[in-house]
Amino acid sequence: MTNRIKEFRVKLGLTQEELAKKVNVRRETIVFLEKNKYNPSLRLAFDLAQILNVSVEELFSFEDEK
Amino acid sequence: MKRIVLMGVIILMVVATVYLWISNSGLSEGEGPFLGIIALILVFAGFLLIRRIKSWKAGEPQEDELTKKMMVRTAALSYYISLYLWVFLLYIQDRVTFDKDRLIGIGIVGMAVIFALSWLFYHFRGVPND
Repeated sequence: MTNRIKEFRVKLGLTQEELAKKVNVRRETIVFLEKNKYNPSLRLAFDLAQILNVSVEELFSFEDEK
Repeated sequence: MKRIVLMGVIILMVVATVYLWISNSGLSEGEGPFLGIIALILVFAGFLLIRRIKSWKAGEPQEDELTKKMMVRTAALSYYISLYLWVFLLYIQDRVTFDKDRLIGIGIVGMAVIFALSWLFYHFRGVPND
């Protein structure tokens, strides 16, 4: 799973710390998400999409690893 | 805050126990490296404590879904590897003359080292897929 969190965050002029506070996670979690080292829960995915003003489908894309 | 205090108390208890151990019986032969490993574990615990304090000061949650998931994965991996450690210790117990107390001590310190290494593994690798 890949995501465009960094792209949309920068567009909105948010820092990792600000985004982390808005979705109530640690800054480290945002770092891990942006590096694709962690797949968020559905709840966090929806929260992120809401804060970044995009849909979940725009924010995350899934490629089957076969 | 409660967890920060708890972690601090545990670190202090370990330091006090090591101090009592050394002041009462002194260091016997071969216990130097053992002490070094305990010191390394304390440094690791101190590092985790500082991280928590920084998060608390920054107004971040000290735990979130990533830290919880990382802890669960770390615990599972370190438990699995620790089983092999104990099997190995039981195997060498019959072949090398070992004091029972020392064997248990090596096992416990070994488990702590395995936990720290497992945590570092997931910290650098991440937890990308379920």
